[in-house]
Formats: sequence, C-alpha cells, structure tokens
Amino acid sequence: MGKKVLVIEDDQELGAQIVKRLRDAGYEPTWWKEGRRLSRETLPDVELVVLDLMLPGTYGMDILKDLRVFSEVPVLVLSARNDTADKVRALRLGADDYMTKPFWPEELVERVRARLRRPTLGRGDVVEVGALRIDRGRREVSVRGERVEVTRLEFEFLAALAERPGEAMTRSSLAERVLDPERDGTERTLDVHVSRLRKKLGRGAFVETVWGIGYRLGDGREE
Amino acid sequence: MKLRARLAVATIAVMLPMTFALFWYDASARHRAAEQNLTEFVFGQMPVAREACEAAPSSFGGELRPSRALGPPHSHRPPPEEPPRGEPPHGGPPHGGPPHGEPLPRPPRPRAARPAVVHAYDETFHSENPDAPAVPEALARAMEEQDVAITSHVLPTSSVEILARMPWGTGPCAYVLARGTTDPTWGAVLPESNIWLLPTVAVFAAMLLALGPVVRRIRKLTEAVQRSASATYADAVLIEGDDEIGVLARSFNAAGREIRSQLEEKDQREQALRHFLANTTHDVMIPLTVLQGHLATLREDAAAGKPVDVGALVSAMDEAHYMASLVHNLAATARLEAADVNLQRSEVDLETLVKRVVGRHKPIAKQLGVSIETAVPGEPVTVSADVTLLEQAISNVTYNAVRYNRSGGHVAVILERVAKEAVFRLRVVDDGPGIPEAELSRLAERGFRGNEARSRAPDGQGLGLHITHRAAELHGYRLTLRPSKYGGLEVELEGKLGAPPG
Repeated sequence: MGKKVLVIEDDQELGAQIVKRLRDAGYEPTWWKEGRRLSRETLPDVELVVLDLMLPGTYGMDILKDLRVFSEVPVLVLSARNDTADKVRALRLGADDYMTKPFWPEELVERVRARLRRPTLGRGDVVEVGALRIDRGRREVSVRGERVEVTRLEFEFLAALAERPGEAMTRSSLAERVLDPERDGTERTLDVHVSRLRKKLGRGAFVETVWGIGYRLGDGREE
Repeated sequence: MKLRARLAVATIAVMLPMTFALFWYDASARHRAAEQNLTEFVFGQMPVAREACEAAPSSFGGELRPSRALGPPHSHRPPPEEPPRGEPPHGGPPHGGPPHGEPLPRPPRPRAARPAVVHAYDETFHSENPDAPAVPEALARAMEEQDVAITSHVLPTSSVEILARMPWGTGPCAYVLARGTTDPTWGAVLPESNIWLLPTVAVFAAMLLALGPVVRRIRKLTEAVQRSASATYADAVLIEGDDEIGVLARSFNAAGREIRSQLEEKDQREQALRHFLANTTHDVMIPLTVLQGHLATLREDAAAGKPVDVGALVSAMDEAHYMASLVHNLAATARLEAADVNLQRSEVDLETLVKRVVGRHKPIAKQLGVSIETAVPGEPVTVSADVTLLEQAISNVTYNAVRYNRSGGHVAVILERVAKEAVFRLRVVDDGPGIPEAELSRLAERGFRGNEARSRAPDGQGLGLHITHRAAELHGYRLTLRPSKYGGLEVELEGKLGAPPG
C-alpha cells in the first residue's frame, strides 16, 4: 500500500494529471476539487497534502491555517502567482514547501517523494547504503557483509559521504575534512585516494564521481 | 461666514471685553485713589478736630472742610466750586486746627466732586449726632481686625465710604465714618471725555475697509485657480504682489506643476506598460508558435503511423519550459523596471532554494541529455532576500547553463558557505559552448542588457542574465561570469549571510 496523499486542486485537467502521476508513482491520492474548511474530523488520514492556493470556496491560505491548528502533516503548496508575499505568507502559515506553476509532473512527484522519504537508516553509528555498511563506532567498513580494510583517510572520506547519502559533496569540502593540508596536499591527492578506495570496495558504484562537484555515496548498483 | 463678517465678529468679540475691562480698571483706580485720599485726610484732620468733636459730639459731623477743623457742620460752609488749594484758613478756629504755617492737607473734595461727609462714633458705633447715618454692619465687623475699613462700590457708583479707628480709640469720637466720591483727577486711567472712543472706532472701520482689496484679490485668485484646474493645470495663475496672497498663488502654481509632472509620469508608465505588454505578447507567441508546430508534426506523424519523433517531442517540451521561464522573467522585469524596486526581504534558506531550482530544471535537462547536479553544504545557508527575485536570478543562470548546453553536457550548481567571511558562494558551472571573454566583459559593462536580450540565439542569454544581474545588484550580491575550467561558463554569485533584521 502506498502512502496516502490529499490533493486539493480545483482545475480538472491539472488535478487529474497530478492524481494520475501520484498513483503511478505508488501513492494513494485523494482528490478534493474544491476548498473546504478543515477540522480534525474532516481531514482524511493522509501523510501529505498538495494544496493549490487559488481555490473556489475556501481560500488555500485559510485551509492551511485551519490545518495547522490540529495537524503537522506536510503541506506542499502549489501557486500560479510567483509572488514573494504569497510564498512568505504560506511558509509562515506552516507550508513545508511550495511549487510555482508551471511545473513538470516529475518535479512534483520528486518533491512529494523527498517530503515523505524516511530519514536515513542510521542506527547510531552505523550507516547502510545499499550493500555498503559503515560503522563509525568501530571504524569498520564492509561490503555485502565482508569487511574491507581501509586506511584512516579512506574511512574518514567514506564517513563524510555517509553523512548525507545520495547527495554530492564538493572535492574541496571533502579535501578540507579528510586531508591534512600539510602532509597530504591537494584535491588531486584526494582523487588518488578515491581510486584506491574504489578498488578495495570492488564492483558497484559506491563512490560516484559527480561532474563539476566531487563525489557522492551511491547505493552500489553496477553501472 | 465670509471673511469680512468673520473679521467684524472677531473684532467685536475682542473689543467688547477689552472696553469693559478698561472701564472697570479705570473705575477701580479712581476708587483706590479716592479711598486713599479720604483715609489720609481723616487721619490728618481728626487729631486736630478731636477736641471739637469731643466737646460737642452731638453736633460734630457733616461735610469735611479742609480749611479748618471739623466743626459744626452748618457754619461757614464753602461753596462746592471753591478751590480748596491755597484757601487760607479763615474764621478763627475755636477748637484748634491744623498747625499754623503748615500746608493744608490734600483736598478731599476737588472740583466736580461732592464734598466728603464725616461723622464720629463712640466705641459702640453709636453717634451723638442724630444726622449721622448708621455704621454699616460690614464695616463695623471689619474693625475687629483692622484700623481702616472700606466699602468699595467700584461699579456702578462713584461713592466711597471708609470707617477708621482713631488712634485714641475711646470716647464719642473713637471712630470716624467718612463718605466721599471719586474724582477723575486723582487717578483715572481714561480721560474725562470719551474722545478716546473715536480712534478705536476709526481703527475698526479702517480694518474692515482695508479688507476690501484683500477679499477682491482672493476672489480673483479663486477664479484663476478654477480656470487652471479645468485645463488640467496646463497654465499657471498670475502672481500678484509679494504678500501672502502672492505666496498662495505661487504655491498653487508649484502644486499644479507637481500634478502635471505626475500626470506625465503616469502617462509614460502607461505607455511603458503598453509597450511591455506588446513585447511580452510577441515574446510568448514565438515559442508558443514553435510549440504548436511541434505538436502538429507529432500529430501528423501519429496519424501517418510513423514512430514518435522523440526529437520533436523534446523540442516541444523545451519550448514549453522556455515559455514558463520567459513568463516568470517578464513578471520579474515588470517589478525590476519600476522606478523604485521594493525588495520584499525575508529569511530565505538558500539550500532549499537551490534544490528547488535544480529540481525545476532537472526534468527538462534530462530530456535534453544534460546532467545537472547540485551540492550544498550540510548546514543551513540563510540570507535575507526577496525569495522570488533571488530564485528567478538563480533559476535563470541555471536554466541558461542547461538550455545553451549540448546533449551529453553537464551542469553543476554548487552552494558553499564561507563561514570565515560570513558569505555564501553559489557557482553554476557548465561545459557548454560558453561565452567568449571579450563578449563577457562587453555584456557585463552594459549590465547584461542588450538587443539580443529577447533573442533566442544561443548567445542570447540576455533577458534572464539581465534579471540575474539586477537582482544581484539590488541584493548587494556580487555576480561574476567567467569561462569555466571545463570549457563552458561559470557564473558565481556571492553575498552576505544573515537573517533579516527583526
């Protein structure tokens, strides 16, 4: 069962598109075609609300205000007006994010996904990304259950990336964190260490190179 | 109320109480003088007249005559008009008198005033003289505390009455009641005749008369103002004189000029708006036409059973995306072209903003075969900014990097926090064709504004770049464009960190 999402959108076409896209992405959307005053009883059991601000009936901001009285459910606001006052107001009223029309359906689904993504499985010191397991407490790294011997520098590098799996980190910030400026030198040195580390980790793109930026911890899928 | 009537009413309202106060002050001054005169006279004469009084208390009293001691009232009564000063003592005063050779005391009874009347009383305020009037109760009571008591009839009578305790304080002449009248020559403020009223009335009349030309000029000015207003302040009113009315005319002309200039400004703005609308329509219509063309092609291909032309599809998507960005830019331009741009600053988290911008262009980048990646610091990067303008600024350079790239190209959006200098640094790097350095400096000189701003040519990043430039300028951020080390363009935006005050 997918997560339940409430879509409040008056436009027939756009509403239908959003609902279809969300359903295709594995969510269970409920579609309200008009604004209603919300109360604890009338709010369906959902994990996220996609709210259009320009609605007949009740104005989107009022719905948001009502909602925030009794619920902390994430709200993604859709707005056709690219207006600062509107955005600032929506955020102050407790919206979590906003999107300005027009947008690609992909973008909307991605935003919903980002909002509903569970926090990284980081039980204390242990971070698991795909088949890679990094134990910060014991300073151990293992791939598919097999321990991999890494140097202090390689471990620091992995631990730094593991803080935000899936997000790219710049070479310079990594070098600053991992390298000893007096002994280890430049960002180029970092690349050398990375290529050695990749060999140790074996098949799969655990350490991905990101163009123009640096590196990212991948889930190890083979390219 | 008309100006003249108002002035008359105001003048009367001021003059009446002032006249009354003047009369009152005059009367009270006369009374004070008469009282003092009477008191001095009584104390001056009584010691001399005491003997006579005590000798014949039943007949003592009557008009006071300074020439001799107070004697029997009916003997040698002088005529009222008899000048008192210099009157030699005549008739041997049997009961003493003022010491010889001494000047006579001041006259209690000057010309035109009734003579003072004096009566003596004993300690119980009883007089032996049957003609003596009863001592007023108030005066008798006042004797408990003072030696001289006065009944003042300031208005409306001119009579003065004093009761005095004699220094000896006993016998039938222990108290003396004296009655007299005031006299203008003693201490009046106003002259005897009412001639002074004449200049007062003359001033009043002159004032009303002088107002005539003033009223006339004001009427004239009013007419001129009405004429000018009906001609939308096109002609100025005639300025007459250097006085307040002249100043009024001048201020009116200044106000008229201000209104005219504002009207002109409004006209200009209206014209600019019409221009803007025409340009906008033109700008949006082109990509819309291209989009329609792509859609028609796709439809025809589908009808002919041909496989879907992915290229046309992607182009159509690109046009749609371009249009969206164009409309946002046009809206931003409308704000930025205003005479004074009102930045609606609030606390903006750049990390979220950058992710949002990259998220917006990622779908189209994917279609165009351009990879777009982003890196943000792990800590919040908060700035005080107008979120719409800043987002549009960053979106423009990001989209330019995607749009003017080639399939297989890369774009990286990197946000860094330079904690040491409390600044953020945002870099948008691509490996597209880039812009030659000469062209870059030329663009930068003109604030990235140019004819090609609205062009769709590959180097026509103009409108978007100009908005980025203006937004950076307004926020006080530094915008730098330089060739990237990957062969494309590197756009850097650097600015101060910090939440808005308050």
